[in-house]
Amino acid sequence: MLKNLRSKLSWLAIMVGGFILINVGVLTGVINTFIENALVTVGINIILAVGLNLIIGFSGQFSLGHAGFMAIGAYATAIVTQNMATPLGFYLAMALGVVIAIVAALIVGVPTLRLRGDYLAIATMGAAEIIRVVINNLKITNGPAGMFNIPPLASWPTVYILMCVTTVVIVNFIHSRAGRAVMAIRDDDIAAESIGINPTKWKLAAFVLGAATAAIGGSLHASYLQTIAPSDFGIMNSISLLIIVVLGGVGSMTGTFVAAIVLGIIDTALQNFGTLRMVIYALALILLMVFKPSGLLGRYELSFGRKRRARKEAASS
Amino acid sequence: MTKQLVIDHVSKVFGGLKAVADVSLTINQGALIALIGPNGAGKTTLFNMLTGESGPTTGKITLSTASGDVDISKKKAYQVAKLGVARTFQNIRLFGAMSVKENVLVARTHLYHEDFLGTVLRLPQFYQREHDVGAAADELLDFFDLTAVADEPTASLPYGTQRRVEIVRAVATKPQLLFLDEPAAGMNPEETADLSRLIARVREHFGITVVLIEHDMSLVMNLAEYIYVLDHGAMIAKGTPQVIQRDPQVIRAYLGGDSDA
Repeated sequence: MLKNLRSKLSWLAIMVGGFILINVGVLTGVINTFIENALVTVGINIILAVGLNLIIGFSGQFSLGHAGFMAIGAYATAIVTQNMATPLGFYLAMALGVVIAIVAALIVGVPTLRLRGDYLAIATMGAAEIIRVVINNLKITNGPAGMFNIPPLASWPTVYILMCVTTVVIVNFIHSRAGRAVMAIRDDDIAAESIGINPTKWKLAAFVLGAATAAIGGSLHASYLQTIAPSDFGIMNSISLLIIVVLGGVGSMTGTFVAAIVLGIIDTALQNFGTLRMVIYALALILLMVFKPSGLLGRYELSFGRKRRARKEAASS
Repeated sequence: MTKQLVIDHVSKVFGGLKAVADVSLTINQGALIALIGPNGAGKTTLFNMLTGESGPTTGKITLSTASGDVDISKKKAYQVAKLGVARTFQNIRLFGAMSVKENVLVARTHLYHEDFLGTVLRLPQFYQREHDVGAAADELLDFFDLTAVADEPTASLPYGTQRRVEIVRAVATKPQLLFLDEPAAGMNPEETADLSRLIARVREHFGITVVLIEHDMSLVMNLAEYIYVLDHGAMIAKGTPQVIQRDPQVIRAYLGGDSDA
């Protein structure tokens, strides 16, 4: 229990510390609007990529449809908050987006999760494309023109807090009965079935939870940027999230954080390079993959409980 | 003796090949039996049918459980496992990235429940459950003499230890019936002797019925009370080890030769 408490307090200190640091930066003017934008983008990317890493890294399902669930959250928020521009409206909208995304994930997941690897990737990509095409053709979503003048109800603290909450939820899910079942299926589905684990049920659970966090990310995206269009949620967006997950290390949440921040820094630093930016960005990715194919952190996770135990063992030996 | 598993005229056909042909046998509660036969005789295919991994083409398999007899021939592997049938695999199938203890914990998934809110909010009942299941896992690891490697990822362990982890993982599901598919494969005589003692201890301590496939005759002959011999998918002999050792049909199946000879 004490070990749990120590670890919990350490994480809380990091989360509060990060918040204070950004707050001081904003108050003293070190973090201007430009940097704040970049930070919020990083935060939203973390929310999205943590959910995707749960699906890809921990449950071992190669999904390329994350942007589709993000779109559901974004549009639900845009439509509801335009009619109810209050913080309450924003959270109701977010909840609605999450619920719709869960339903969509169930509809997509039940038939497709029996597929493996490349086949699943193509099927989820198709599902996300269907979501995008539907949005493109509905009146309520304003078609291909997209929606603008979305009330700005998500500030950087909202994004920061929700980033912490979704990460805690997903990491706690992983370190539990559910997470172990999900990882067992990833490592060997036949063996997992032989010990009484229903593969469909647990794969679906991870997929749905990942989709729900994608909706939260989409909701924040819509409210912070105030304009969205169907083209924001195409296959390239799913792939850029996949890049964060792969770059950080498939199966490492710490890696996802590091990768999202590193890519955010590269992206921001290259703003002045114009078209050369994408070339340098791509080159950085290629080099990283050549020299560190398992991602920046592999499967390493930052953990306070484990470190303490290692230190205790070292002390006792 | 009470019947645990009744296999009634079971066959499995792959395309034109009859891998298992019309096999019937009854396994009594608490028995320790062995299934032997040359390579390709259909032993693993029979195991796969009995554990629900791939159902029989024809025939019926009835398992006696606490809540009555259940036909498991159409059930999925995870459903059969929940009814109290556990197995190990010929080619070790562990969750390599997970630690030894996690391999044991995950085998208990169907024996307890953690609700979503309690899990993500880390409510006291979550810690209680984790503590209980962890204590049960530690006890099992101790029984299998695996405490020292509890936190090691299983992929990094030596072969013999991995075999033992696979058995403890199977036992952790609280089975009534345990199928071991070539548990001594790749082991030296000393490890085989250890394994033989371990299987006997497991059976005695947990009261599990054990069925094993094995090529190592020293293990089979000193462990099994009753032996069934398969060849080309058909059961060619059954009996106690003494009887099987002298059976001319069994000797022919193993050593080859013409049936007219």
